[in-house]
Amino acid sequence: MMDMGSTPFEITINVVKTVLVFLMMVQLVPILVWVERRGSAFIQNRFGPNRIGPLGLMQLLADAVKFLTKEDFVPDKGNKYLFYAAPIFALIPASIAYMAIPMSTPLLIGDSKFLIQGFEVNVGIVFILGVSSLAAYTILMAGWGSGSKFALMGAMRASAQIISYELALGLSIVGVIMTYGTFNLSEMIAQQQGFLTFNGFGSTLTMPLPNWGIFFQPLGALIFFAAAFAESNRLPFDLAEGEAELVAGFHTEYGGFKMLMFFIGEYGHMMIASGLFATFFLGGYNIPWTTVQGVHDWLASFGFSADLTNVLNTVLHFLMYNVKFLILLWIFIHVRWTLPRFRYDQLMDLGWKTMLPWALANTILTSIVIFAAAQFAF
Amino acid sequence: MTDAILFWFLAFVTVGAGLSVVLMSNPIYSALSLAMTMVGVSALFVTLGAFFLAGVQLIVYAGAVMVLFVMVIMLFDLKHEIQAFTRGKITGAVKIASVGILAGLVVGAITLSTKAIELSQKTQADADTGKTYADNTMALAQNLFLQNVFGFEALGVLLLVIAVGTVALSRSRGGTHARD
Repeated sequence: MMDMGSTPFEITINVVKTVLVFLMMVQLVPILVWVERRGSAFIQNRFGPNRIGPLGLMQLLADAVKFLTKEDFVPDKGNKYLFYAAPIFALIPASIAYMAIPMSTPLLIGDSKFLIQGFEVNVGIVFILGVSSLAAYTILMAGWGSGSKFALMGAMRASAQIISYELALGLSIVGVIMTYGTFNLSEMIAQQQGFLTFNGFGSTLTMPLPNWGIFFQPLGALIFFAAAFAESNRLPFDLAEGEAELVAGFHTEYGGFKMLMFFIGEYGHMMIASGLFATFFLGGYNIPWTTVQGVHDWLASFGFSADLTNVLNTVLHFLMYNVKFLILLWIFIHVRWTLPRFRYDQLMDLGWKTMLPWALANTILTSIVIFAAAQFAF
Repeated sequence: MTDAILFWFLAFVTVGAGLSVVLMSNPIYSALSLAMTMVGVSALFVTLGAFFLAGVQLIVYAGAVMVLFVMVIMLFDLKHEIQAFTRGKITGAVKIASVGILAGLVVGAITLSTKAIELSQKTQADADTGKTYADNTMALAQNLFLQNVFGFEALGVLLLVIAVGTVALSRSRGGTHARD
């Protein structure tokens, strides 16, 4: 059926991978918080946290200790079960969805093939969208369970926003799916190797650019990028926690480690958006202008053994994926400290009256071009 | 073996969540349990190899429809509803009736599933001869857009009618956007 573990060896590997990917995500969060605080200080001409440890890096550890030792507070009028359940549920969609993103070319050792991703789902995109759409529940649970008007209002805003922008996000991906003709993320990445090549109208055109999805789907990339900000509830779309109006939105009543778990969930959504953007539009783990096989042959020309070549190939592609991933995460942070917040009616207008029609137009245009390119020749 | 464990775990979660939809007195718990049931059903779809259906079930039902339900319920003052759910003869009768219907469904499902197991043992032989689940999205698309395209489009038009009708009804007497 699928490689979900037909032998104890496969089950063990899968469990280890699941734990590893989850730990990677959780460990990246403090670093991102540090980058966010230092980066915002850099943008705003301040110092930022620079007292504890070199460059203020130990600030994360101090924060974690502070979060863990804070008082465990539950509002009197709130719903205790939902209040405690919400932060835990906040971690689940983000971490499960991220595991479906391939982070490097599969590692071949002997007869075994190790996928550098949590698990491979044949309909990767649908799975990731489906799982991450469950994040709206955690926000609603937190908002209602807090028993506070600020929290409830923030939760309503956040979930309405997530549902609205999910449409534009989903439709912007339809063009990508049609271009590659597959739902499978690994197959998409495999089609983005080498030089930019347009096949159609009976001829082939090659350009000195990497063969990335962004050149086939520029409008889709733009809509996906904007909708991804809204989906992860970050500025300029962070209406859910507009400080001036709502204190802090749905996590007003949360403190200590429970709030940190919401933070991890939010950064998790940022990571999913970055990983997906890299996969759809920036060639995933592919190194620009070359192919996976090309890198493999180049490494083999140094005279390494077959296994070592494969390991180095996988490591190189993993590093390439991480370069793209981290640049995108930095763009997320940079935008947050550069743009002001939308007003709520502007937000809904942008979602329903601008991005949704453009995403639909992109879908129709893509299907027409694909049909024409396959049918006619010059 | 692992498939069996997975199935019984998921079945337990799904049926348990489904039961708590009926048995919870707080409407919010009921709605959240219904969402959990949807998630359980989509996980069961995954174990059957229907990945696309599972994803769509998650996106449409669990991710959009139920979120709207939960949002609307949360905006109400629920004290009255909770009392109405716990006291009263009519709600008691409804509860007993729904327990009866549920029991009938369970018995029916069990009798049907024994037939399904016999069927699956027959189809297992087909599956062993090299048929894979890999391209069932394409098969689904061919079924929907080539064989049953007329019914599919008719359903689409019906849904559009519902949406337009809802907007027309909500705006007929001023609606929510009354400007006078």
